[in-house]
Parts: sequence; structure tokens; C-alpha cells
Amino acid sequence: MSLLRPSNVANLLAEIVNCEKVDDIDLSEVSRLVEHVPEDMTATVEDGMALADFQQQLAKGGQWLPVDPPNPESVTIGELLANNLNGPRRFGCGTVRDWLIGVAVVLPDGRLIRNGGKVVKNVAGFDLCRLFIGAQNTLGIIVEATFKLQPLPEAEMHLAKRFESLGQAEACLEHIWDSTLQPIVLDLHRIDGSDLTMVVSFAGPSADVTFQSEELIAMGFEDGVSLDYDARFRSKKHTWKSIAPGNLINSLSQLPRSNFVARAGNGLIYHDGEPCVGEEDSSLELNGLERRLKQEFDPENKLPELRRQ
Amino acid sequence: MRELKPSLHKTMVDRLVAIVGRDAVISEESELVVYECDAYTMQKNLPTAVVLPATTEEVAQVVRVCNELELPIIPRGAGTSLSGSVLAVDGGVMIALTRMNRILNVDVRNRRALVEAGCVNAWITREASPHGLFFAPDPSSQPACTIGGNIATNSGGPHTLKNGVTTNHVLGYEMVMPDGSIKWLGTKPDGGEDVGGYDFRGAAIGSEGMFGVVTRALVRLVKTPASFKTFLAIFDSVDQASHTVSDIIAAGIVPAALEMMDQVITRALEEAYKVGFPLDAGAVLIVELDGLAGGVEQQAKQVEAICENNNAREVRLAKDDAERAALWKCRKRAFGAVGRLSPNYVTQDGVVPRSKVPAIMQFIREVSERHQLRIPNVFHAGDGNIHPLILFDERDPDQVKRALMAGDEILTKCVELGGSVTGEHGIGAEKIDFMEKQFAKDDLEAMKKLRTVFDPQQRCNPHKMFPGAKRCAEFAQKKQISA
Repeated sequence: MSLLRPSNVANLLAEIVNCEKVDDIDLSEVSRLVEHVPEDMTATVEDGMALADFQQQLAKGGQWLPVDPPNPESVTIGELLANNLNGPRRFGCGTVRDWLIGVAVVLPDGRLIRNGGKVVKNVAGFDLCRLFIGAQNTLGIIVEATFKLQPLPEAEMHLAKRFESLGQAEACLEHIWDSTLQPIVLDLHRIDGSDLTMVVSFAGPSADVTFQSEELIAMGFEDGVSLDYDARFRSKKHTWKSIAPGNLINSLSQLPRSNFVARAGNGLIYHDGEPCVGEEDSSLELNGLERRLKQEFDPENKLPELRRQ
Repeated sequence: MRELKPSLHKTMVDRLVAIVGRDAVISEESELVVYECDAYTMQKNLPTAVVLPATTEEVAQVVRVCNELELPIIPRGAGTSLSGSVLAVDGGVMIALTRMNRILNVDVRNRRALVEAGCVNAWITREASPHGLFFAPDPSSQPACTIGGNIATNSGGPHTLKNGVTTNHVLGYEMVMPDGSIKWLGTKPDGGEDVGGYDFRGAAIGSEGMFGVVTRALVRLVKTPASFKTFLAIFDSVDQASHTVSDIIAAGIVPAALEMMDQVITRALEEAYKVGFPLDAGAVLIVELDGLAGGVEQQAKQVEAICENNNAREVRLAKDDAERAALWKCRKRAFGAVGRLSPNYVTQDGVVPRSKVPAIMQFIREVSERHQLRIPNVFHAGDGNIHPLILFDERDPDQVKRALMAGDEILTKCVELGGSVTGEHGIGAEKIDFMEKQFAKDDLEAMKKLRTVFDPQQRCNPHKMFPGAKRCAEFAQKKQISA
């Protein structure tokens, strides 16, 4: 049982070989920006850098990694990948699965492997990048990641409107869904006993952002809101539910007393109610494919077991 | 072709016929020839038999029979792969998914479509477009290639620059595992995006048919952009066009597509289709912007200015949907038009970091001169994904040798420049030797571990991807020529 706190990758490779059981890994010293090439719209970074620091570096070249999980000041690139973290902009930007193009991973037997690369299109070999995302360091420890990036949007605007009932919110949601509007955030929330609120954001060329925002203002939305509700709510104890987006309102109606933040465009609900029976695969047992995967990559069970979140 | 004892051959045929019916089993050599290769024609191998199942359950039963008889399984879509990834290198039962080609459901509200693996890529957009939706991955072979094949190769296309590739647009799929069990990986047809656990869905996309047989897929549909602007920018030189590409990206613009064609290609296309390309242009770019009208207008002005700064001779705007469609049809037929120039050609699929496009184009010119071969280029410049077409005549052994050497040199240079030997065509049988150039031994070992998880017997599409895979005698000859 041990905590590994290597000062560099070579150090980690040596330590992990001699370790029987890895409890926790602190990679705060493995945190360099290896490379940011704005002309290529790619960047390579070590696992321990905080996401906010990474974004700050990228912003110097007018770019960003389009993911926005809560608490970017403390969330490291490693945590971002290991837990596939994301936030409100997921609707417009996807998840880190859409942006990771290369990894270096320390395997429990002390070998360093690389997969993918630093080009934006690459189908040489099997895609272990996708495999390690969300794998919670149970198969290997990502030490370096290469991402494709996006230009920072020229403008961004967040708007919100309160609703008295789910029915009213649904009518508005369906209207936006069927329109030509292209929001990057499409959230519904009801937190801390406040009203049901829809949040819509637009980002991109300023002409588009202004035009779309005006359309929403005409529908009674107010601008100048913040997205900080997401981190505030998700920092407290909560559970989640993922459903087809078309079932969102129906699912929310089954949580009449719960607080929630819902990604209406993705069908994802974070709520503080009881998890419904059969809502998620609550089995803690790994299935056959998962067991074989764990056995292949971590035969001695040095690394943690996969948690069902 | 794998020689089976006549009694075993009969057993195999009888058992396959019992599952799928006589009409859906091909085992006569004269008919098997159709399945001896894909669009990569440098290597040919006959499968022992081809089956054309109609249901997932039939696929599963066929897989179980192959297990009992210890025969390789080769999944196949339309056979448009460009890297020999559906070759039956050591014989075996080829499972062709072309009869399982239905669109089962277009779920407009959830922007998804459920389709069978043999469904042709372009059919999905055809069905979805009346609802203002489309399926984004658009390989040039999209009028023929299947979704199952797209999943196997993680296909791209000109519009992946903005929209991403197949892995970004396939939510989940049903797979017949090599043991004959049926699993659904990823998002279920009526389910939520997040399924928890390991991402086997993502891990098996691009696995070139080596992890199982995909039978149904749930694909993401995206909203058709409200507005398009498609430019044809004409340059005197490839260099000018290359620098324009870099400048567009550097300006923070991500076009929907950013494609380059050099002089040989534009001339061939002009001769074939009379689209109005000037015959003396050094290179042309197709730049497509999409989105809302205001933003597209704003970016169009920037793109025009960038083209002018790089001394574009002319920037033409497609004036309507028909002109835009004609331009794309032309681009996607470029490989075909090259058939007019040369009896044979081999296309490469290297990738370099975007900023290295001018360097790799320069290198290709040098290779072309050194080997005295014409190497025209038509490619996804915005992604750094090059497609040099090496022209040769297979009746001249020396030309074949030089063509193979030229291809090797170009791909090796892509790796040296920090790129990859394949951006969308796959490794297949063709590029096995490059895996060790691009990856270290341990990297390949880790990939093999993943294969073992899915297919411990290595029954599914064997002899692909990894060095040490078996080659057929015919191919070995060609390799000898190149040595």
C-alpha cells in the first residue's frame, strides 16, 4: 500500500515496478507543458498540470482545450482524463474523448507506452487513447497527453430564463432544439430551492453570437449570467443519470423534490435525489470483457479497481 | 487459399448453408474471385468461403461454426478499403455484411440513427436530410462504403476537419464477439450517452475487423448547417496553397473542409469532367465554411483576404448548392480520374502536423524526381493528411519497384516529421512494416493485449496490423522487388 509521488516519469517507472499496491499517485511534479504548436492546433502536456494552467498557456496562442469541468484550478489533466470530466459546454464541444489524440502511459509492470500521436488524424494501430479515458488509472497511469485544440471563440454569451413548470420549460426547449440556433450550452437547473432555470450559451464569431442572443432575448431570456451553478451543485453529494435527450423532461418529472443540473442537449441529469432502481448499472462486479481487460493490463492488481460512479 | 480436406470443406459448406441458406454461401473458386481483394490490389487471397448473413443471429451462428472448425473469420463491408484490411490472407470464412443494409430507425428527436452494419454511408444522410440532419463522416467512397467498414477503419473524409471522424459520431454498436456471443458496446439505441465502465466502444473503433463483427450501429446525426460558402482558390504553386492553409488555421478559422489538389489532378479532373479548372494552375484549394450566415460571411472575408495575401490567382465562390455539389463530386472522383493518367497507381495516406505540409510536399517532389515517377496529390490539407498517388505501370517490374520505394520513403518521412503512416485508410496488410517505424515494441505489445481481450484465439481478421503477420507468396514477391 503506498502513495507514489514521483518527480518525473523515469522516477515513476522505477517506483511502480517495486510497488505491490498503488493507493494513490500524486503527479503534481510531472506537470510541464511539453509543447504547444498553435499552427498545428495541438498541444502536449504532462499529467500533473492543472487544467486552468494549461488553458492559460494555450490562450497565449489564442486556443483552448474545449472542456469545462468544475474546478479547473485544481483538476489536473490526469484527473480530467482518468474520470472523463466535463461541464456545461459538453453539448457544443463534446468530451475529452473527442479531443485526445495521443497518450504516454505508465503500465503497472514499469513499461512506458505511447499510443496515437500528435497529428489530428491517425488510424495507425488500435485506439488505446479512448480506452484509457475514464479508466480511472485502473489499467495504467497516463503521464502525458496530446490534444487537438480549438481557436478561442471570438465571443461568448450566456443567457437564462426562469420557468414556473417543467411543461413551460419543455415548450421552450423543443422550440430551441428545432430552431437553427446552435447553442454550446443547453442546461436546465433547479438548485438551492430556486426556480427552474434554463441556461443557453452561444460561442463563436461575434456576428453569430449577437444574432442568436438577440433571438433569445426576444423570447424573454436575460444575458449576463454565469455558469458557476454547475461547479456549485456538483461539489455537493449527488448522483447522475444518463438518458436519451428526448426523455429529459419525463425523467425530471420523476424527481419532483430534487435539486438538479441537467444537460438537456445530452440527456444527462445530476441530482440529489435517490438513485432509481435499475437506473444505472449498479453492479460492482466487472463483466467478462472488463475482467479480461484488467487481467491483461494489470495482472498483479497493483492499480485500483474500477469504480462505478 | 486455405486448402481444406474435401470432407472438411463439405462439412463447412453444409453447416454454413444450414445457417444462411444455399444462396448466401459462396464456395466455388470462380465466384470467390470477387472477394480476393479490396481496393488495394497489390495483394490477392481467396477466402475459403463467403457467407452473406441476413441477421445478427446468423452472424453469431457462423462465428460459432468457424470456432468449431478453427477457421479464420474475415468481416467485410463493401470492400472499398484501401489497405488490404479485408484480405483473407490465410483463407477462412469471409462474413460479408452487404445483405444487412437496412436503416432501422431515424430518431429525429434524439438525432440518432440505428442502422445495420452493411448500410451504405451515404444512405444515412439521404434519409436524415429531410429532417435537417446528416451523418458527418464522409469518406470519398461514401456512395459505396458501409458503416461497419467505417467503424472498422475509423473513417474520415474531407469534412472531418471540423466535424471529426467516425469515432466522434458512433454512439454505440452491436458486435458479434469472436466467441459467438453478442454484445452491445456504448450507448444503447434508447439509452443515454454515458454508460460508465471502460470505453470498449471507443477502443474497438478502428480495430480493422480484428475484434469482432459489427452488426448494427447507433450513429450520431448532426444538424445541417444553415449556411455554406465554398470557395475554389487557384494558385500558381503548391507552396502558395500550402501557406494559405497554414494562415487560415493560424487566423483561428476552422473551415468545414480545406482540400488541396495539385496540377496533375486538376488537369485530369478537367479532362474528365469539364468543371472549369484552369489547366495551368499549380494547385487549387477547396475551402468550405459552414455555420450561421453572419459568421460564415465574416470568415469568408478573412479567407478571401488570406488567399489574396498568398497571391491567389483567382478565388471563385460556388454560387449555389448545385455548383457546390459539383465541386465536391469532382473532388471525390479525383482518384477515379487519375485512372486516365496511368495504368496503375498506389495511393498513400500519410499524415504530418499541419505546419509540415509545405515540407512534405517539397519532399514528395524530390521523391518524384529521384524515382522518375509522377506523384500527383489530392488531399485533406487542413488536417495534414496527404494522399500522394504514385503512378506506375505494373507491366514494368522496375516501375513497380520504384513505386514501392517511393511510397516507403514518403511514409517514413511522415513519421520523421512527427506524423503517422495512415490518417484514414488503416494499416491492413499493406502497411504492417511501418508499425515498427511508428511505434516502439512495448507500444505494439499493449495493442496486442487489447486484441487478446476481445479475441484470445486471434481468429478475427488474422495476419493484419502487426509485424510478423503471415504474408502470401504473391505479396512476398512484390516485397522482394522492393528490397
